[in-house]
Amino acid sequence: MTEKCQQDGGEKKISMKINNQEYNIVVEPHWTLREVIHDKLGLTGTKEMCDHGACGSCTVIMEGRPILSCMTLAIECGGKVIETVENLDIEKHPLVETYANNHAMQCGYCTPGFVMTAKALLDRNPNPDEEAIKDALEGNICRCGTYPAHVVAILEASTKLEGGK
Amino acid sequence: MNKKLGIMEIEPLVRDRYIQEEFSIIGKRGIARMCGKEKASGRAEYTRDVKLPGMLYCRILSSPYAHARIKSINTEKAEALPGVRAVLRYDDPELQGKELFGLETKFNAGHLATDGQAFYHGKEELAVTLEQWKQGAGRILDGVAWWEGHPVGAAVAADTPELAEEALTLIEVEWEELPLVLNPLDALKPGAPLAAPEINSKNNIIRKLKIEHGDVEKGFKEADKVIKFDARRRPYTVAEAEPISDVILWRGDNVEIWAHQQQAYDGKMLFALKMGLPLNKIKLHVPYQGSQFGGGGNPMMHHTHGVHMISGILSKRLGRPIKTFYDRRDTFYNLSQDADCHTSFKVGFNNDGTITAVKIDNICAKMGQYGIDHFEENTRIPNLALNYLEAQINVAPAYWFRCEQNHNALCLSLVFEHVAAELGMDPTIVALKNDGVEGKDMEYLSKFKKEHGFPDRDSLRECIELGKKAIDWDNKWHKPGTKVLPNGKLHGIGFTWTHEWDDTRGVACAGVLMHCDGTVDILSQKSDDGLNAMTTHCQIVAEEMGLKLEDVNFRMFEEVGFQMMTPDGSCNLAVDAYVTRNAARKAKQKLLEYATTPIKLIDIEYPPAFPNNYPDDLDVKDSIVFLKSDPSKNVPVAEVVKRATLNQGGTRAPLFTWSWHRQGRYGTEKGRHRMCRQAYFAEVEVDPGTGGVEVKKIVNVNDVGKAISPETCEGQQYGGDYMGTGRALAEEVIYDPKTGVRLNANLLDYKVWTMRDIDTTVNLLVETGMGYGAYGLNGIGECIATVVPGVIGAAIYNAIGEWVDDHPMTPDKVLKAISKAKAKRGGLR
Repeated sequence: MTEKCQQDGGEKKISMKINNQEYNIVVEPHWTLREVIHDKLGLTGTKEMCDHGACGSCTVIMEGRPILSCMTLAIECGGKVIETVENLDIEKHPLVETYANNHAMQCGYCTPGFVMTAKALLDRNPNPDEEAIKDALEGNICRCGTYPAHVVAILEASTKLEGGK
Repeated sequence: MNKKLGIMEIEPLVRDRYIQEEFSIIGKRGIARMCGKEKASGRAEYTRDVKLPGMLYCRILSSPYAHARIKSINTEKAEALPGVRAVLRYDDPELQGKELFGLETKFNAGHLATDGQAFYHGKEELAVTLEQWKQGAGRILDGVAWWEGHPVGAAVAADTPELAEEALTLIEVEWEELPLVLNPLDALKPGAPLAAPEINSKNNIIRKLKIEHGDVEKGFKEADKVIKFDARRRPYTVAEAEPISDVILWRGDNVEIWAHQQQAYDGKMLFALKMGLPLNKIKLHVPYQGSQFGGGGNPMMHHTHGVHMISGILSKRLGRPIKTFYDRRDTFYNLSQDADCHTSFKVGFNNDGTITAVKIDNICAKMGQYGIDHFEENTRIPNLALNYLEAQINVAPAYWFRCEQNHNALCLSLVFEHVAAELGMDPTIVALKNDGVEGKDMEYLSKFKKEHGFPDRDSLRECIELGKKAIDWDNKWHKPGTKVLPNGKLHGIGFTWTHEWDDTRGVACAGVLMHCDGTVDILSQKSDDGLNAMTTHCQIVAEEMGLKLEDVNFRMFEEVGFQMMTPDGSCNLAVDAYVTRNAARKAKQKLLEYATTPIKLIDIEYPPAFPNNYPDDLDVKDSIVFLKSDPSKNVPVAEVVKRATLNQGGTRAPLFTWSWHRQGRYGTEKGRHRMCRQAYFAEVEVDPGTGGVEVKKIVNVNDVGKAISPETCEGQQYGGDYMGTGRALAEEVIYDPKTGVRLNANLLDYKVWTMRDIDTTVNLLVETGMGYGAYGLNGIGECIATVVPGVIGAAIYNAIGEWVDDHPMTPDKVLKAISKAKAKRGGLR
C-alpha cells in the first residue's frame, strides 16, 4: 500500500466470492471492481476498454446479474458473489467452444464482455431467441463488428445446454 | 579477375500460375479459430494485461491547448510525491537528438520509412524538404504542442497508476498559447495562422500534387453531358478496443519489449536506431492485440515509437520494468483519425453511360488521400486529372485507418452514382460500361490475363450478378425518391463497386520447425489483429505438408528472427502465404528425404522408414507417410522424424526449413493490373420526419481470389459493414471550433456501431484465382469498411432523391436534403 493511501485513509477490508473462491482484500474507496479484478487479482479476462460504462468489455456477473465492473466501486462489493469469464473455462461452459467454432471474435479484446453478458442471459433464459440475444447484447461494443456471429454462437450454446439436461 | 555484381530482381508479377483444384484443409468450412477458446475465456493476454515483478507505471503529460509552447516547467512537486520514481522532462539530455520520424503529423512514407522512401515515389511533390519531413514530428516529449492532447513536456514513472496520474497534476507548466487552424480550407487562405511553423514557416502546405492522364478538356468536349458537384468526408477515428500501452524491461545490455503494435518489428527497429542498440540485444514479445486497424499500430507515431523510447529510457535509468499507458481519452487523442477532405468533381459522360473525363480538385488535412487512384486502377476512363493539396492543421495525428483507400473508394462511388443518377440508368450497367484498367478496356485486360496465365474471368460481372440476385435488385431498384413504405419511411437501394485489394507488396519470412513427435511450429512474429492469421497459416502448412491441422501451431507472439507482414487477411496474406507455403513445401521434401535416406553413424548404418524407396515414391496425408503405389505401406510422420534423431534425447528438432518472399514494391510497378473486383448492394429506410437512416440489408460480394478460411473472410465482410455504415452515418471526430478541443474523445459520444445498427448482412465470396498472392488469393480485411460508406450514400439518394454527399450523413444533413428534394419536386412521391 502506498503512503498516499495510508495518509488518505478510507481503505476497507472486504470479502468477495469470485469464481467460487473467497478473496479478502483491502480496497481504497476509489478503486473500481474492474481494477481490483484485473489489476490486483490478476483475472485479466475482465477488460478495460472504454472505462466509462459505454462498451461492456468489463462485464462480470454479480449476484446473477451482468454488471459493468468499471462503473462499480469495489468497496461496495463486500459479501458479493461474483463470476468472471475465467470461470467459464474452469466449468467448461459451452459458450467458450461455440464462440471459437463460430468465429464470434476477431481481435478478441471485447469478447469476454460479450461472453459474460451471454452467460448471464443463458442463466436466466436457457432458450433465448434471436431477438432476446440482440436485446441482451446491444449494449456491448465490438470494434471489429463481429455481432452476427454472436447470435449464432449463443443459439448453439443454448442447444448444447438444453441437450445436456 | 573482375566479378560482376549481381542484381536481385523483384518480379512484380509473381503469382501462382497453377491453382490447385482440390484442397483438404485450405478453404474448408467448420474449422474453429485456433485462438478462439483463449479469447472467449479471457485467457488471451494483451499488452494491457502484462504485469511484471517490480513494474512501474508511466504517464505522459498532454497539452491542454491545440497549439502552444511550453515557456517553463516545474516538476519539483511531482518529483517530491512519495512513490514517484522518476520524472523525465523534455529538456533531459538523453532526449536530445531523439527526434521522431515525421509521420504522426504528416503522412506515411511506406511500410517502414527509415530510408525515407515515399509511398508513391516519384508521383508527388513535397512542399517540405525530406529533412524537414523526417524531423517533422519534433522530439519525444517536445516543448511544442500541435494539437490538444499532444504528449509533451514530461513523463512520470511511479509505483502505481494512480500515483503517476496524480504526479502529472502536480507539474506546473507555463504555456504560451499560439494561434490555431482546424480546417484545411482555412489553413490554405493567405494570412492563415501557421499550424506547425517548426516544420514549415512559410505556409501550411504539406503536399501538392497534380496528376493527368489523357486530356480532360478534350474529354469534356466530347461528352454528351458534363456535371459538377462537391463532397466532403469528415474525419473518423480508430476508437480501438485496447488502449495503448507498452512494457519495456532493460536488463544489462539487453532489452525486452512487450508491444501493442501491428508492425512490432518495425517498432523494434526504430527503437534500436534511436537508442543506439543492436537488433540482437532486443527481445520482442507481441501479445494479442486489441483491434488497431492500421491507424492504431503504426510504429512511427508517438503512441508507439515515442512511448517505447520513454519506457526504455526510464527502465534503463531505474532498473525496473516500465509500463507506459494511455487512458481512453489519450488513446482517442493520439490514435490517428482519417483526414478531413473537401473535394470538387467535374465529370463528362455520354448518354450510354460511358464516362469520358473526370477531374478532381481535392483539398485534405494532413495525411489525406488523393481520390483518383481507383479511376486509374480499375476503369477504362481515358481522361483523368487531379489537383491535390494537403494542409497542416492543429488536430490529432493522422495515419491511414482501414484504410488508405477511403477517399479513393468514396470518390469512385460518388462519380459513378452521380453519372447513373443523371442518366436515370441502372448503376450496375454504368459500372460494367466503364470497368477496365489504367484507361484501357476489358478486352485489353482479358488479353493481359491470358498472356500472364490467369483465368480469364469477368470478376465485376460475376460479383454484380450474384449481388443483384441476393438483394433482388431487378424488383427493388426504383427511381430516386419514389418509394414510400407502409410504415411511412422512404425506401432506398444502392450499389457501388471497386477493385479488390490485390496489391499487397512487401517482405515476409517464416520458419517451419518439426519436433521429434511430428508436430510443427511455424516460427515468425506476427501481430494478431483478429484476422485469424494463426489458423490460416496453420491450414496452409498442414495442407502443404499433409499433416493433421491439430499437428501444426503458429508461434506468432515471439520474435525469433522471422517476421511476417502485418496484419493479415487484411491484405498481407498475399505476401505472407507464400512464405509459409514455400517453407512447408521444403519441409515436406526434407521429411520425405528422411523417410528414404539411411543415416550412417561412424560404422553403424540406421535404415530409414522406407529403405527401398525415393522421396518421389512417397506422399503424406493425415500426418502419415505412405507409399503412393501401395498406401497400405505407411509410417506415421512422428516415427519418420524420430528415426532421424536416432531416438536420442527426443527433444532435438531434426527438421527445419525457412522461406523469404518479396512481393513487388509499393505502388510503383507498371502493368501489374488489378483483376479482382468487389460489389456492394444496400437497402435502407429513411425516416422523413427525423432524417434517421435504418440499414436494412447489405450484400457484400468480394472476389477474394481464393478463400483460405471462408469464415474469416465473411467475418471481415460483416465486420466491415458495421464500421462502414458507422462511418457513413455517425462516426466523426468533433473539435470545438474556437479552441480545437476534441469534444467526443470517449466511446459514449463517439458513435461506434452496435448489434442493432444493421438488420441483415449477406456475405458472398467469389474465387476467381486472379489475385497475386499464393493460391491466387488477395486481401479482404480493409476494403469493406472502406467502400461501404459509398453504397449507403447511394441508397440514401435512391430513397430521398437528393444527394447528401457530406459524410457522415447524419440525420440533420439527411433532413436538409429531404427539404431540398421537396422544394425541387414539391413532394417525395
